[in-house]
Amino acid sequence: MVSRKDFIRNSALGFAGLAFVPGTLKEVNGTTSESAQTSGSYILKNVRLETGFAYENDEVIATHTALFAVEIENGVIKKISPNQPGAKNAVDAGGMLMLPAFRDMHIHLDKTFYGGPWQAVRRRTGGVKGMIALEQKILPDMLKNSTYKAEQLIELLQSKGTSFARSHVNIEPTSRLDSLKNLQKALENKKKVFGAELVAFPQHGVFYTDTALYLKEAAQAGIDFIGGVDPYTIDGAIEKTMDFTIQLALDHGKGIDIHLHESGESGLKTVEYLINKVNENPALKGKTYLSHCFVLGRLDRPQQEAIAEKLGAAQIGIVSTIPFGGLIMPIPTLLKHNVTVMTGNDSIIDHWNTFGSGSVLQKANLAAQLYGNTTEFGLSRTLKLATAGLLPLDDKGVQQWPKAGDQADMVFVDASCSAEAVSRISPVTSLIYKGNIVF
Amino acid sequence: METAYHILAGNSYTLKNVRLETAFVFDEDGVTATRTGLFCITVSNGKITRVFPNDAPLPHAIDAKGYLMLPAFKDMHVHLDKTLYGLPWQALSPRRRTVRDMIAYEQEIIPTLLKTSTARAEQLISLLQSYGTSFARTHFNVDTTSGLRSLENLQKALDNKQDSFKAELVAFPQHGLYYTDSAPLMKEAAQLENVDFIGGLDPFSIDNGIQKAIDLTVQLAIDHNKGIDIHLHDGGKEGLRTITYLAEQVLQNPQLKGRTFVSHAFVLAQLQSKETEAVAEKLAAAGMGIVSAIPFRGAAMPIPALLKHGVEVLMGNDNVQDYWSTFGTGNMLQKAHLMAELYGWVTEFELSRTLRFATRNILPLNNEGHMQWPKAGDKAALVLVNASCSAEAVSRMSATVAFAHDEGSLYWKS
Ligand SMILES: [Zn+2]
Ligand SMILES: [Zn+2]
Repeated sequence: MVSRKDFIRNSALGFAGLAFVPGTLKEVNGTTSESAQTSGSYILKNVRLETGFAYENDEVIATHTALFAVEIENGVIKKISPNQPGAKNAVDAGGMLMLPAFRDMHIHLDKTFYGGPWQAVRRRTGGVKGMIALEQKILPDMLKNSTYKAEQLIELLQSKGTSFARSHVNIEPTSRLDSLKNLQKALENKKKVFGAELVAFPQHGVFYTDTALYLKEAAQAGIDFIGGVDPYTIDGAIEKTMDFTIQLALDHGKGIDIHLHESGESGLKTVEYLINKVNENPALKGKTYLSHCFVLGRLDRPQQEAIAEKLGAAQIGIVSTIPFGGLIMPIPTLLKHNVTVMTGNDSIIDHWNTFGSGSVLQKANLAAQLYGNTTEFGLSRTLKLATAGLLPLDDKGVQQWPKAGDQADMVFVDASCSAEAVSRISPVTSLIYKGNIVF
Repeated sequence: METAYHILAGNSYTLKNVRLETAFVFDEDGVTATRTGLFCITVSNGKITRVFPNDAPLPHAIDAKGYLMLPAFKDMHVHLDKTLYGLPWQALSPRRRTVRDMIAYEQEIIPTLLKTSTARAEQLISLLQSYGTSFARTHFNVDTTSGLRSLENLQKALDNKQDSFKAELVAFPQHGLYYTDSAPLMKEAAQLENVDFIGGLDPFSIDNGIQKAIDLTVQLAIDHNKGIDIHLHDGGKEGLRTITYLAEQVLQNPQLKGRTFVSHAFVLAQLQSKETEAVAEKLAAAGMGIVSAIPFRGAAMPIPALLKHGVEVLMGNDNVQDYWSTFGTGNMLQKAHLMAELYGWVTEFELSRTLRFATRNILPLNNEGHMQWPKAGDKAALVLVNASCSAEAVSRMSATVAFAHDEGSLYWKS
């Protein structure tokens, strides 16, 4: 068996930390992705997969891996078989670790400065409403090339191993549906190599600006979720806005994903109101999310446990960018109560924030450090933040991914196992989306 | 040299199309952007001798291609001598919980680690260099298991890397001065010319006595004309007492001012703001610095308060990948970025000031936006990054394209 270190040694660059060649899948054995793709089916060889945990006493001390051949057909994993190192027409994965492709579950692909000149955030007064006024001023200009910038941003995410995003898209009287249309153009251009689900996001309030009409229109224009933002702060009332949002989701069979930054009483009331409504309307279970939901970080332990239990029962998920410093989200508590927790970059570089790396593996790394997941087991479990839940091994160490029939969305990293990938933010060497080799 | 960089010039060269920061752009609310221009720079024998306009035709000059030149990145706390970087992945064990557990573990594995520690130190240096760092303050173990072999192996690595990397060395009694019988070894290390600082570790919790351990540390530093840089993880009143006792010794021995440091000093993050201010004042009066790896789990270090009182704050990666932690990136811009996020330094001005933690406090522009670096006479310790200004470099962790320390060659990324 050829080890990963051998592959590294044989690669062109000797520099520690740079000892990988991105896009290796493109040109190994004379099989380019082009020719592989045109046939619609191909075999990957020398694919490293996790096969189990190594234990000492009761503790996981390492992760076993082995090399396999993986057959892809029509965008789906058809078969996983023993490695065929000599296979002539196979695409060589070079011993890199194959993981479920990363998923960024909270981002704004429609409004970014990425790809344009550097511009720091300005200290602004007036809070979120001040930001709304700012957006009303700058959005018309930003919309002029927002398709191009979305594509640039998608390419950044891909370079970090992400092949799918849940993107919020501004719906408000300034952009009307143009932000959505421009983003949909970018996604259409990228559809072979990148997937997305869209949240119609009333960034300027549902009623604070006259947005309800546009949301209704958006609900019929190819979006997947009805969004929202701080109903109390922006619209002045929780119930009216929430009722509108929920009804719109129900009427059109959509999910819900609401930005909730409010960390005080109104934040908690909003969470509780949503829990009750979802329980009244079980159609919304499993497709309702709260993004940020900072209020959970402000509660005391017993309250956190109680709310987490209710969220788990109502199958409402939390999407967090993993804040640190001040407020810490009770992510371990949420996970304990089977609440779906996902992460995303949110801003990469825009008028809100300029710190986003585009890597959800980096977010998982941040969570591992923040919550003290430093062991092999703890690190390996933390990978699920980058993959929106999917892990190669279950908690007992039994292989659960990949399986025949899974959509062929995979990322290859220069790591020996998930734990290493999370801890070292290992370099991404290749990405496959629906069987298409992106690089 | 195992690196993706190649030597572009020795220590004398002229660069053209070098981007330098020249001023801030202001409006009524403050700094809105950083102005830059393209320049030529002449370096002779590791010194910048001329900074001049970019308009003269200079066919023999090296083309810096418009990349931004910044002061060299310096990692001010790292352990180059005992890393697992380059070895197969190994997560932390849940069994080793205390520093004393770790000491026992080190006694077990150090003999094996020493066999390859020169090669691994070089690999770790290469990692730091890939992020533009060309200088480090590295601690090296002095303990009854390693003796002085950790130093010898590290020195070999540094010799091999001397054209591209410089370091200052801290003799670090990782297993205590008295908890294991390391005091005699420390006395030996203190006499060596290549040792710059006397280190230390939690006098209270490891050696069971603040005074005795600090007194020896201070005495060695004074006797051999070294600085001091001790690891202090101890919290509570003992942690605080360690700092104040050391400060008292420094005040009595002014030759230690400006060269005495406390690394980590987690106790500062546990204090009420009034206490913090008082300690910061004492540190400043004693000319003592704090070196931090910028922890962000739990309470943050009161770095803004330290800076307000004029305390020198240095920053380092500490562990990159070893049995203490596996999370280090080796990237000083990543640490600066972390600081900016942690302390909410988000504007152009704040981000640009944050760069100083990557450069050991050298900044291209002063707070008023006047150019202060590089100037003729400055050491040619520099880095070129793919960014439009310092603020962008910090916020976006921009990639490095070239670096040089002042006594070595100019290296360019292949
Ligand atoms: Zn958002
Ligand atoms: Zn240290």
